[in-house]
Amino acid sequence: MTSTAVIDVEHLHLSYGDFHAVRDLSFQVRQGELYALLGTNGAGKTSTLETVEGHRAATSGTVRVFGQSPRDRRAVRSRMGIMLQESGFSPDLTVKESVGLIGGLTGRTDRVDRVLHIVDLTRKAGTRVSQLSGGEKRRLDFATAVYGTPELVFLDEPTTGLDIQSRDDLWATVGRLREAGSTIVLTTHYLEEAQQHADRIGLMHQGTFHREGTVAELTRTLPAVIRFGLPTPAPALPVQATREADGRFLVETFSLQKDLHVVLRWARDNGLELRDLEAGPTRLDDVFRAIGTE
Amino acid sequence: MLPIALSELVQIFRNRLVLVTSFIMPVAIAAFFIYRHELFASVGSLGYIAAIVMFTVGAFGLYTTTVTTLASRRQNLFLKRLRSTAIGDAGILSGLLLPVTVIALVQVVVILVVLAVVAGGPDNVVLLAAAVVSMLVMMLGLGLATAGLTNSPEHAQVTTLPVSIGTIAVASWVGIAGTEELTLVKRLLPGGSATELVVNAWNGGVAVTDSLLLLAPTLAWVIVAVTLASRMFRWEPRR
Repeated sequence: MTSTAVIDVEHLHLSYGDFHAVRDLSFQVRQGELYALLGTNGAGKTSTLETVEGHRAATSGTVRVFGQSPRDRRAVRSRMGIMLQESGFSPDLTVKESVGLIGGLTGRTDRVDRVLHIVDLTRKAGTRVSQLSGGEKRRLDFATAVYGTPELVFLDEPTTGLDIQSRDDLWATVGRLREAGSTIVLTTHYLEEAQQHADRIGLMHQGTFHREGTVAELTRTLPAVIRFGLPTPAPALPVQATREADGRFLVETFSLQKDLHVVLRWARDNGLELRDLEAGPTRLDDVFRAIGTE
Repeated sequence: MLPIALSELVQIFRNRLVLVTSFIMPVAIAAFFIYRHELFASVGSLGYIAAIVMFTVGAFGLYTTTVTTLASRRQNLFLKRLRSTAIGDAGILSGLLLPVTVIALVQVVVILVVLAVVAGGPDNVVLLAAAVVSMLVMMLGLGLATAGLTNSPEHAQVTTLPVSIGTIAVASWVGIAGTEELTLVKRLLPGGSATELVVNAWNGGVAVTDSLLLLAPTLAWVIVAVTLASRMFRWEPRR
């Protein structure tokens, strides 16, 4: 393990009976980075995350968090905050009581009022959990995860069910945690969030990594795209293109600027309007979609 | 552990259904037995009344609430939430079950004191205390084991019936008929030896050393229940 690795997973294998949920998975998360664990449904990311959190025992392989087994709760839990995928709060306790109870049991110290202010639940402090909306429950979950500013924070689909303002607030808080030196491990189905915030991404498929790296490293393996519609009839295109189901043309290129320039000059020279013109670099969505075709 | 216990106490008093079915009903039943103590004493003895009110609290108060609480906390992922903190499993279970155990203990003590005042006190208080504590520990252990088989609070209404009805039935059988016949069977059934111990402690007439041996079957049930619980108890719902 390198000196700055907060999480070190080596040859992790997880089985449920005959089903192999995770197979020979190895990765590290370095101190201060935001690492996103992405994958298709059933790819094994939740099993992986729960093993790293210490909720689940590995079938084989080793998992170290802060150099220790995550199953040793007393040793590691005071240093980590966990936002679960589902609520897990007692419906008969109030918001303030819930944060005070769970936060206090983490072994960290903080002021409940401060944490409630961060997640904009101050007005709901006296409300029972059973009366919260889905988004408010997610914010309550986030509050317990960031209680006491832990060194390592697990965020399991943190923005599911949140409105846009709450999402922005959550990411602002994550940004402040990172400024304070916290390491973040994220799973999400919102790929644009991972693309925007993650330093590195582990892309899982069928229990192991399909790819791992920075957003740039993942996207550079696929071509950028130019899409446009043309009036008919139209002269022959100056670049290789395929026609999509909606009638538009798709140009896939590793030289986006050059080929876009060629297409625009060709359109100008022929007096054509390129309808619904789109051009841009490869997005994480494209990498994600390519999983099934490779 | 104490913060969990405190929050659990708050939840008990905020949940009227739990409060009524698990705490008020057993007390009401016990009050009826004490009110009609002359009738029930003629059927069995004062020791029988003491045993039946003790098991009413143990079965319908402590045991049923233990199963319901653990199933409920597991179903809404509160157990998983607690396990995402720094506290250990033993601390979590102790915190969750401490309030209901203390409430049951207080209920049994108050009810038996009232019975003693109304109808006459026990012959051996220490022996009675041993019987009460062993019964509470046994019901806790059986509650933990049953919680492993119980998926939800609604499911608990079914899964708790065999033990709760069974121990009450055994207490009635042993308390009324005594253990002169089918001695071994009656003592080995859950609650049988504890009932005999209570009857001996209240009515007197049996050597203390002979009565103390009756703790063994109850403690054996504790070991069986805890062993079953350690194998069957789940912290998260089945997927």
